[in-house]
Formats: sequence, C-alpha cells, structure tokens
Amino acid sequence: MPRHLLVERLGRYLYEKIRHLVHYKRGDRDLHTKMTFRATVDAVIPRTPELEAELGPEHVPGGLDIGLAEYLVTYVNHGFQLGFPQLGPRGTLSFARPVAKALDVAALKLVLRGHNAEPPSRTFVRPLIEADATASTSLFAAAGPFARLSPEDRLRAIGIVDDIEISVARSEDELFEFNGGLVGQLVVGFAKLIYYSEWQGYENYDEPPSTRIFSDDPGAVQSWRQTGFPGIANGYPALRGYLGTETGSLGDGEVWTTVDVAAEPPVHILHEPGRFRENDYETADFEEVFPEETT
Amino acid sequence: MVADAYDAVIVGAGADGPVVAWKLAEAGLSVLVLEAGPFHGNKQWPKPHEDPGAESSSSLDDLSGELLDEQFTTREFEMVNNLLFGPADHRRGFWMRKFPGDGAILQCAGVGGTTLHYTGCHPRAYPAAIDEQGHWPIDYADLIPYYQELEAICEVAPAPVTAKEEVFFRGAAAAGWNLIDEANVTDPGYRPQPNAIRQPDEVLHVDAGYDGDYSAADLTGHTLAVSDISGDPHPRGAPFEEKAKRSSNVSFVPLALGTGNVTIRPNAFVVDVATDGGPTPEATGVTFRDTWSGAVASVDAEVVVLAAGAIETPRLWLNAGLPENEWVGRGLTIHFGDNVMGLWDEDELEGLLGRRTVEQQEGEDIAARFDYPGLGMLQTVGTTPGIGAILGFGASASGFAFQNDTTGEPWDTTGRLVGQELKRLLAGYRRMVQVLVVSDDRPHRRNGVTVQRGVADEHGPIPLVNYRPSEADRKRRDELARIAADILRAAGATHVHRSDSPPTALHLHSTMRMGKVVDDACEAYDVDRLFVADHSVLANGLGGPNPTLTGQAVAARAAEHIQERYFAP
Repeated sequence: MPRHLLVERLGRYLYEKIRHLVHYKRGDRDLHTKMTFRATVDAVIPRTPELEAELGPEHVPGGLDIGLAEYLVTYVNHGFQLGFPQLGPRGTLSFARPVAKALDVAALKLVLRGHNAEPPSRTFVRPLIEADATASTSLFAAAGPFARLSPEDRLRAIGIVDDIEISVARSEDELFEFNGGLVGQLVVGFAKLIYYSEWQGYENYDEPPSTRIFSDDPGAVQSWRQTGFPGIANGYPALRGYLGTETGSLGDGEVWTTVDVAAEPPVHILHEPGRFRENDYETADFEEVFPEETT
Repeated sequence: MVADAYDAVIVGAGADGPVVAWKLAEAGLSVLVLEAGPFHGNKQWPKPHEDPGAESSSSLDDLSGELLDEQFTTREFEMVNNLLFGPADHRRGFWMRKFPGDGAILQCAGVGGTTLHYTGCHPRAYPAAIDEQGHWPIDYADLIPYYQELEAICEVAPAPVTAKEEVFFRGAAAAGWNLIDEANVTDPGYRPQPNAIRQPDEVLHVDAGYDGDYSAADLTGHTLAVSDISGDPHPRGAPFEEKAKRSSNVSFVPLALGTGNVTIRPNAFVVDVATDGGPTPEATGVTFRDTWSGAVASVDAEVVVLAAGAIETPRLWLNAGLPENEWVGRGLTIHFGDNVMGLWDEDELEGLLGRRTVEQQEGEDIAARFDYPGLGMLQTVGTTPGIGAILGFGASASGFAFQNDTTGEPWDTTGRLVGQELKRLLAGYRRMVQVLVVSDDRPHRRNGVTVQRGVADEHGPIPLVNYRPSEADRKRRDELARIAADILRAAGATHVHRSDSPPTALHLHSTMRMGKVVDDACEAYDVDRLFVADHSVLANGLGGPNPTLTGQAVAARAAEHIQERYFAP
C-alpha cells in the first residue's frame, strides 16, 4: 500500500478512536465545531499587533474580534442545500460539523507525516478563547487536534484536506460524499469574502433582505477601516475619457492625456467616445503558440 | 397564467434564452420561458426572495426600475447570496454542484441568468478560433451579421477610461504592445473592452466638477461605481429598460415581452423533457417543479429549446434519459483562468496618474483588455474588497504563499494569501490593479458534466463536473500570467502577486457542442424538435474572449432555423 494511503487510513482510524473515546454530547460537538472554526479564522485573518507600528492601530483586530467564526458556522450550515425530499423543500445540509471533522483528520495526517513545524499544543488554543468570558473551560476542552496546531500548521492542514473525501450521512441508507476542496473554499475563501465584505455593517443580516438594516458608514465595518474602502456608492466623477488616436475611430475630440508617445500614431485618452472598426480579417496565417490535437 | 401548450418552450432565461424568445415571438409564435430562479424588478414579485408572488409575467408593464433599485442593493455579500445559483427563497442555500479541488462554478439563477453579475463585456470571438482551430462546423463570417445586430441592440461600445484602465494601458504600451481598434481581432494588443454598457455621462469627467446624486434625474449611462458584479441597477431612478448595464433582463427581456407573445415563468425548475418515443424521438414538452411549493406541472410544445447553460442543459438531458451520445456533457471549456495583481507606491502613482491612489472601486468593473489570439486574453477588474479577496487571494493550486519560493519568477508572491500578508496587501486596496487571466483552453472529452444516481437534490441527480486542463492549456495560461505581470511591472507596480488559481468556472461552454451533439442549426442529432441554444453549443472557447455575445449570436441564429424548419408558412 502506498505510504500516503497508509497514513490516511491510520489518520481515519485514530480519529474514529478519539471520537469514540471522547463521546461528544451534542453540546460538546457544537463547541468543538465552534473552536475548530475559530482556529481557522485565527489562522486566515488573525489579530496582527505587528502591523500597528507599520500601518496603524486599525489594522490590529482580526476575524475573531467581530464574531466571524460563529457566523461562518451559521453560513456553512445554511448556505448549501440539497433539498432532501425527506427533509421537505427547505432541507439543508449542515456542513459545519463534517468540515470540522475533516480539519481534524487533516491535522492528524499532517502530524503523522511529520509535516508540522511545531508540536501541537494547548498553548495554541488559548488565543482562541481569550476574548470570550463565557464557558472558557468547556471551550478549552472542546479544542480538537486542528485547534491545537500552530496557526501556520493549521494552514498546512487545510492544504492537505483537498484529498480527503468527506461523507455526510443524509439518512441511514444514503451517503453524500463531497470533495475536501470544498473545505478550503469555505474556511479560507468564504471567510475572506465575508470578512472583507459589508457583512459586519448589518444590524440583522439574518432577517429577510427587505427588512435588513444596513449602515453605510465606512467607519462601521472593521475591514473597511483596514482596506480604506469608502463604502457603497452610487457613482464617482472618475471619467478620464476614451482610448484612441487622432486618425483612428476608437475615440474622438480633444486630447486629455497621452498614453503612448512613441507609438505611430501616438495613443491618447480623448474626450469623446468612438467605435471599433469593422475590419477585414485574415486567419490563414494563424499559428498555434502551444499546439495540441483537435477533439 | 401558464397555458397547457405553446409553439415553443424555452428552458432558461439566462443570457441566451431571452434572445430566442424575442426572435420567435417577433415572428408570431407563442413562447413560454421557464426560469429556475426569481424575476427581479417585476411587479408580480415585489419581494422575490421572501414571497412566492405571482405565477408568471407576460407584460412589459410588469417591469419596474424602482423595484430593481430596491432589490439590487449592490452590497456585495448580500448580492452574491441573492444572485448565485440557488432557489429564490432567501432561507435556502445554493444548489450543490460537485466540482473538483478548490475550484468553484460561478453562475446565477434568475431572469437574466449569469448576465445579472456579468460585467457587460461583449467582445466577438477571435476569427481564428472559429475558422482555424477545427472545432466549428460554421464560419466566423456566418456569425458577423448576428454580431452586428446584437451589438446594436446591446449598445456595445468602447468602455471609458478611469484610473485603473489608464494604469493598464500605460503598462501595456510600455511593455511594447500595440493598440487594437478592430472588432475582428487577429493580432495581439490592448484595447478598451467592447462593453454592452451605456457610456457614462460627460458630466462625470474628472475635470467637470460633478457634485450630484448620480440618479437618472441628473444623468444617463454608467455611473462609474464598480457594481456590475453586484447587479448594477444604476442610474438609480431610471426605468427598468434604461439601466446602463445591458444584461439580458434589461436588453432582450423587454423586447421579448413587448411582442405580447411571451410568458416568463420564474421559480420553475425543469426536471424532464417529454418525447414521443419514436425511433428518432421528437420532443413534445417539458415537466417543471415550482421551487417554492414543490408542485410539478407539464406543458406541451411544438419545439423545446434548452437554454439552461453549460451545466444544467446536459444535466437535464442526462436526467431526462434522452438518447445517449458520447459528447453529451463532454468537452467543457471554462477559460481556465488566473488572477495577477499589482500594487503601487503612492509616489509612483503620483507620477503615473497625477494622484496618489488608483481607486479600483471607480469605473466600470472591467473596462480594459489585452487580446492574444492563440493564448486568450487579459482584462483588468475593479472589485469591492470581499469579492477581490476571494478572487485574488482566496484559492490557489499552489497552496499558501508562505509555502512558495518565487525566485526567478516575475511575481513577488504566489498562492493563497493569509494572515499578516493578506492584511498588509489589502491595506493597499486603493493602490492596486487586478488583472484576470482568461485562457483559450480547448475542449477535451474527459472534461464535463455527468450525473450519478443517488447523489441527488429535489431536481434529480446533481451535476458532477470534471475539469483537468491539458499541458498546452496550462502553458497558454501561464504565458498570459507572465504577460500580465510584465504589463504591471512596466507600469511601475512595486509588488506583483499571482494567485495560480485552481480551475474556477466563470465562463462555461462547449458541453453540447455544435457538430457533436447538435447540428449547425442547433437541433439535437438524436431528438427532433429539440434545440439547444445556449453557451453549451459553442464548439470551443472562442479563443478566450468573453462568451456572452457569441452565445447570443448563436441563439439568434438558432431561432431563425427553428422558424425555417418547423414554422415556415
């Protein structure tokens, strides 16, 4: 058996062992999911005190400071649906727990392969609960293998989650399998989309669209303070003109500035719009840059 | 009300379905268009994501710019969730598709389809991709009359220049490339995007001192706030048909409804195609499911036109048990892409632009391009920060940036960015220009859509998508990424980042190819009276240019053949 398969099997075996030993109650499982998502957010969009001197104090807070992990759990649980007939028309697939499980499997695989840079430790868990005064003991205990990795090792684990096929039991006799690549999309890609979007600016994003209250104050969104995004706008007086030359059809009118002085004729930005030329074309001399067989 | 029978039933009101509807209805045929998603900006559905609303719409009077203004907030997170491919009901999530690796499929549901979040880019195909690559049974010259007709309707014109386009054009010129002013592109060079967007009012010139509210009372055309990906209903206050971005709901849907012969039935997911069971079967109608109530209904038609897009059209064919053909669902092209980003110092920008920031949130989203027949294209894109973060730094085939050595490469960093590096780079949001790499990937039989019993949602087995680029596909993309980095460097960028994106599908085509699954009139070889008129019939990826115009041109052409074959007087 190839080594990587052996390692994967061992990882799964260990994971199942641990899972059975621990015997999570539902409440504990939810805490475990929450801690795992906090661990991903803390690795992807962390607090960055190091940026204060360089960029300013507004660049310090990260995803955990605005409840991104908790919302990501909700989003992942409600964002995808397979409309299982047996669950009714609004049946959704709760992905957050299987995602958290997959991250733990990946963490164990990483450690078994010896590809982690630092040994897993409870000290990496502490920053995940620092901001949370409630139930910190049980939260601490709920941290799984993934949350005990260093932030950079968590990213390495996310990097190897792609080759894990994850099974979600829809009912006793049906399984839905999804590719581990989706995990990275959710905990890295969607985490960034949500963090850098307007999401924090709603008072009630969980309400129907027509009743959402949104404050379009650029100062109200932490990430907008960090990117300098000026908020939602209806327009900008930003027109410079139209690309063109003095003899061609593309643009027209006076020259506003010149883009290419050396070209013959020179390329300008002109005040008036023009149009594309309906040219004769010849393709007989077309040559493939990187040829390949036609199918 | 939806009747029991129509001359033509069209499955899908995306970029292409409304073109077929308009053409057939104009010729006097009765047409029903079934759309899986909601109908925005329509008085029959004042809250399209909250209430089921009415059943269907058949009148131009139903369209409402005011409702579109209300529903299209241009807030990126909200609009992504409202528009991406899923049921209208906001409480429900996206419809699942299985896609390999870290990639994703970005399609919309709703009247207007993916043109709801497209950026208005409406270039023609490269002539050589049609005439020289050996995929197409028709010639580029056959498309030209349709191009011309549709360009006039969609008001395609050279896009305006704002700061981010000026940066790119200066870089392209400095890197030694020439300006292209042609509609039919055969040589490499840079040019403004041919956009189906009404050009901005001259009062928005940087020297004109505009200080208004950008509403229709004040001006016409694009208002130069980046919002096309988020729906762009500007100018606010304009009637539905007068919105600047000519998505198919704004351009062709009013034309279709204006004939009085078209009924559009949103929230209707087609799950089956009925045939008469003869030796060469004939299509006789379809069955659809209401996405709110789950109720199922059937409708008869003289002709059925599939326009559900390159994923759902083959999925429907396969789930309906239509005759097997080795190319159904096969040959998918996605313009295998990438993202290259440049960041500038304030001083550098001062010299280049006369100001210390780029302000990528200004302008049309995508307004400058670089063409290279044989390789594909590049286009600048301005994004709001969330979409920019996921597109530019959210996914990579080469892992996280801290794991990658870039010595000897034209980029400083490559891979997924996280942590301090991500936050530092995005702190420069207002000083960056992003370039999308859009490559001329070729159809390969292994790539495409299959279904598997048991992996199903309420509409049957879900689409399982496979995509693996060939070695040559990869080389074309990598070469374009290098050209992009050179252009950004030539414009003085101090930091260049390459995503090395995993296959992600924004442009989807070639899964029901003309010459393989359908004939050159777009009628299925194996089922009579069944036509396919969407991007899935495109025989290849057009060389790389954005596919909307060519998809619509082929759909318009198919509509004429439908009339000739089955409704000739």
